[in-house]
This record gives sequence, structure tokens and C-alpha cells, in this order.
Amino acid sequence: MKSIIGIAVVEVRLFLRDRSNIFFVFIFPLLLILLLGSQFGANSGQARVALSGAPGTELAKALAGQLEEDGVQVSTAGPETVRDQLSRGRTDVGIFTSDEDAAAYAAGRPAGLEVVTASQSAAQAVLQEVRASIQAVSTERRQQSLLESAGVPAAEAAAALVQARTSVEQPRVELVDTDDVTQVFQGLGRFDLGAAQQLLLFVFLSSLTGAATLIKARRLGVIARVMAAPVASWQALAGQALGRFGIAAVQGGYIMLGTALLFGVDWGNPLLAGLVLVLFCAVSAAAAMVIGSLMDNDAAASGVGVGLGLVLAGLGGSMVPPEFFSETLQAVSRLTPHRWAYDAFADIQRHDGTLADILPQLGVLAAMALGLLALGSFLLQRSLSRAL
Amino acid sequence: MTAEVQTQKAQVLGVKGLVKRYGDHTVVDGVSFHIEAGETYGLLGPNGAGKTTIISMVAGLIPADSGSIELVGSAMTPASTRVKGHIGLVPQELAIYPDLTAKENLLFFGRLQGLSGQELKGRTAEVLELIGLADRAGEQTKKFSGGMKRRLNIGIGLLHRPTLLILDEPTVGVDPQSRNSILESVEGLATEGMAVLYTTHYMEEAERLCDRIAIIDEGKIQAEGTRNQLVELTGGVDRIDLHGSGNTSAAATALRQLPGVQHVDGGASGLALTVHNGPGLLAPIVAEAGRAGMALTSVEIVRPDLESVFLHLTGKALRD
Repeated sequence: MKSIIGIAVVEVRLFLRDRSNIFFVFIFPLLLILLLGSQFGANSGQARVALSGAPGTELAKALAGQLEEDGVQVSTAGPETVRDQLSRGRTDVGIFTSDEDAAAYAAGRPAGLEVVTASQSAAQAVLQEVRASIQAVSTERRQQSLLESAGVPAAEAAAALVQARTSVEQPRVELVDTDDVTQVFQGLGRFDLGAAQQLLLFVFLSSLTGAATLIKARRLGVIARVMAAPVASWQALAGQALGRFGIAAVQGGYIMLGTALLFGVDWGNPLLAGLVLVLFCAVSAAAAMVIGSLMDNDAAASGVGVGLGLVLAGLGGSMVPPEFFSETLQAVSRLTPHRWAYDAFADIQRHDGTLADILPQLGVLAAMALGLLALGSFLLQRSLSRAL
Repeated sequence: MTAEVQTQKAQVLGVKGLVKRYGDHTVVDGVSFHIEAGETYGLLGPNGAGKTTIISMVAGLIPADSGSIELVGSAMTPASTRVKGHIGLVPQELAIYPDLTAKENLLFFGRLQGLSGQELKGRTAEVLELIGLADRAGEQTKKFSGGMKRRLNIGIGLLHRPTLLILDEPTVGVDPQSRNSILESVEGLATEGMAVLYTTHYMEEAERLCDRIAIIDEGKIQAEGTRNQLVELTGGVDRIDLHGSGNTSAAATALRQLPGVQHVDGGASGLALTVHNGPGLLAPIVAEAGRAGMALTSVEIVRPDLESVFLHLTGKALRD
């Protein structure tokens, strides 16, 4: 065991001495998370609306009040400023009102509003929220007008409407998803699915780069020297794999923590999620050792690692959720470790899965790791007969 | 009987009938030899003779197709993990991590050999002193010169005081000063009782260091013995080296016809002749070479040495 740990420690030390490794394993994923967050998770998911025109009027106050009540972040500015904000994506929807519109609203007559959306994808969803808020303002104004036209003084009419809102229980609509696919994704937060997919893709990809370090060590003659010491081939390989496993596990944990803190990703039971990550890292590291023992050119191994990593990630559901796969592709997908880890994460994140629920996935991942380590050990011993 | 028992006790390595094939090509063909404690044994042969393959089998890196290897009384195969602790391997390539310091390299390989704690620290310091790198211990080895890397390469092999030290062409690509330093270090090891298996294609190194030498070519041991025993095999022939230019191939053809000339070997820049009574034949050889169109720049008579032995046994020069 001492020799395995000794080899692993050197592997980590060599990894840390190469600054580019630190960028790709720790900084690059964080940058990507930030990129994805800015694209899909603008302003932590809160809708932003800018109001322009008719400041201080009854219409402006009613709109701002209703929007804020509906959870929208409201700002006011001049029309040029609001247009600038829309073009730069700093607000999702702009509402432009005129003094004439404000006067019509105050008089209980129909009033027009100019609503402009920004180009980002989230703006369309915010537009729906704005429409609902405007509808609410419009309804309340009509109710007020009806009461006033029936002879109720304005103040009493307003008080009656407030009383009615507080005394009557709000109708509650529960949406039930009827199609299977929608039900499969039930319980997922905005980033939960993508975070699990990206985690599996990145951990596997960066682990496969370990193949190149093994080939370099073979070329230097270090592996031969290690195996001329009282160290079995499986111990030499296990040491190398343990080093890569440690790096992968730290990277995976880092992504988990980062996405939870930055985007509120819910990973479910942290212990179970961690267990899935540990076994997936073991498979990734062992796969790297197989490539590192099988191939003799480290540059080619890096290329194969990236290609294989992307193909397996695609097949395993790290790019498109496997729930959308055909039956044949579903079967192929189960040949990849990504798929088993994906299924385990899905159970934990969406259905509060327990250890018993994910035991089959954990078992398959463990078997894959052991099988690949045994294969890598055999190939490493055989590689010593080849000249590099 | 008593003598046999004593010999067996002193034997560190015994190799019998070792064979290694790659496809149809037999790289090592029935090699047998033994090494005793305190003895330096040389494998002398040109590149591609099979020396490194023999060493790889002895070190348990690759399996033999047939034959046996016994190290301090135990069979040695790639699975003999425990037995490997008796070996210190110094491979031909610089098997060190360039991104680690000299000290980190020694500590790493020392741990693999089972050293730990104060023993590991103390032995690391001793070896750094021995190989003259104590003041550079904290530097990454990628900044070292070729000679310094070679010395570290050897130091790693010595770290755990092995019973058998295997040195595979340890002076390849080394400057003369470092080479001499390495050879002096190896000379000192045998006096400490360590058995040394030394491969080289440099005749002078084998002559200087080795108690017994096996001349190996095309995977077979052609002859084995002390330097004097091997020289006797040539039957007292001399070697005459002719250096020059011109029509060397015509000169070689003409010289082969000359009485007393056994072998003629060489290329465009010179010829090596194996002859009886070199001094006596020198004048007719020079004259014949001149007549054949070879312009001589220098002539040298070399009394029998291992180069001559190799030429005598294989019909080709060791440098080939």
C-alpha cells in the first residue's frame, strides 16, 4: 500500500507543477459555469423590468406596485436609457407609457402601453410575467370603475377591493404533467440537470489526460524502474490511477460545490452524490490507465482521450438527456459509465433516491473500475516488452 | 563437495539457457552465466546484441520464453515481487522524473524499495554525497547536465544497497570527465561486496571494470572468461588499423589475399586487419594498400585486446 500511495503522491505533485493543468481542471470549469450562468441564469433568475414615462402618475404607480408584488425587479428611467438597457441585455422587458395613457387610465378609459423585450432567451418568459401583471392592473382598474359607476365613492370602492382580496382565498392551480418525459424531469431545478451532465463530462475528460502522463513515465523508463523494484504491475498501475483519481475527485467536488453555491444546484443527498462521484472518478482514472498502457504516443493519447471522452459523454447522456434517446441508443448508452452515473444522480436529485435505490448503478460503476484496472495492469506489464 | 557448496553460497545470480523470441526472431538464444558476490561481470557486445533484453529478464521486467533465472537462491520472474528487492537497476535511459528534484527522485524510488523514515533520509543524503549532487539536491533534474543525470540514475540504483546492481550502458552519451567518475564509482562497488552486472559496447570499460566478461553477439554468448582468457582465444594475433582515404574497398580485397592476414574489416575511412605477427607484416601491408589506391594517413599495431577477440569470434568489429 505504501508503494501505491508513494506513486500516487508523485503523480499529484507532477500534476500540480504543471500550471496549465490547474487552469484546465479548476479554472476552466469555473469559467464555463460562469458563462452558462450568465447565458441562462441572468440575475439569479429574477425578472427585470424597466418603466419609462409618466412618472408619479396613477398608472406608473399601479404598474410598479403590481410588478413588484409579482416578484419582478422594477426600475424607472427615461426612454433612451431603457432602450439602451434593452439592447445591452441589462433588462428583460421595457414598458413605455405616455401622459395620455396615464390620463386615460386615471379616467377609467382604455390605455395603450408599449412593451419591448430584450433579445436574451429569458426575456420571453419575463414578458409572460409582465402580461399577467398588466392584466391584474387592468382588472383591478375595471373593478374600481364598475363600483364607482354604481355610485360607490372612490375611496370606499378601493377599500372594498382590498378587503375582498384579503378575505377571499386565492384560487390555486396545480399543473399535472401528463407525458412521461415531463414527469421524468419533475423535481429538477433550473441548473440541476445541466450541472450533473457537465460534471460527468468534465471529470471523465480531464481524467483521460492522465493517459498521457503514464505514457511519458513509460517513455522516461520510470515505469520500468518502478516495476524492477518490489512493486507488482497492478500496484504500479493502481498508484498511477490513485493519483488521477484524487485529481478527478477534487475536480468533481469542486464543480459540485461551485454549482451549489453559485447556481443553487440541488445535488440531493450529498453523501450519496459523493459516492456516485467517487465511483465515477475511479472508472475515469482506470480508463485513463488502459489508454496509457495501450498507446505509445502521448500526443495521440491526448487526442484519443478527448475524442473518446466526448463520444462517451454524448452516448452517456451528458450532452442530450438520455430520456430522449431511442430504445437502441438507450441500450448503447448503458455501455458507458456516464449513463450509470447519470441515472444515479437522477435518482438522488429528482426522487430523493436512497442507497438501496442506486445500488445497481454503484455496482456497475465499481465493476467497471475494477475491470478496467485489471485490464490496464495486464496491458502495462505487456507494454514493457515494447520499445517506445 | 565442500567446494561446490561454497561456490553455491557465493553465487548471487545464476542464469541458465535463457531464450527470448519476438515473433520469428530469437533475440536471446540459450544464454547461461552466473555472478558471484563482489564480482563485476560484463556483457560486451554491439548494439542490438541482446544485452538489454537479457537484463530486462534478469530484472523481472519481461518473462523469458524458456530457461531460468535464480537470484540469491530464488527464482526470478516478473511475478517475483519480493525477490526484486535484491536488485538495483540502472537502465540505459535516464529513468528519472525531470520535474522532480534530485532529492525527490531519490526519496520516491527509496520508498518503493521499502525504505522509510530516518533510514530513507539518511541513505538519500549518503547517496547524494556519493554521486556529488548534495549541493544540487533541491534542483529539478531537468536543469541538470547529462553527466549529472547519469550520476543520479546510478545513485537511485544504489539507494537500497542491492545485492546485485545491474548497469545497462551507464556511460552512453556522457562526457569523458563524468564517464571516468562513473567508472570509479563502479570500481568501488565490488570492493564493498556488491555483485555487478555491467553491459557495454565499450571495450575499454569492460577491460577496466569486469572480473569476467561474456562476449555476446546476435543473442548468443560467443565466449566467456577473464580478459586474459578471452585474449588467448585469438591465438596471439595482432590487429593493424589502417586509417586513410582513397580506394579502401580495393585495398581490403588486395589485403585479404596477403599471407598471414586473417580478417579485413572496415569502411571508407579505414581498415582493421587481424594478422599473425603484426610488426613483421606491417611493411608489405602498407605497400599493398598503397598499390590498391588507399592513401594512408596513419597506421597502428594493436596488440590483442577485446576488440580483437570480438573480431576474431564474430568476424566483425565491435563498433558495428
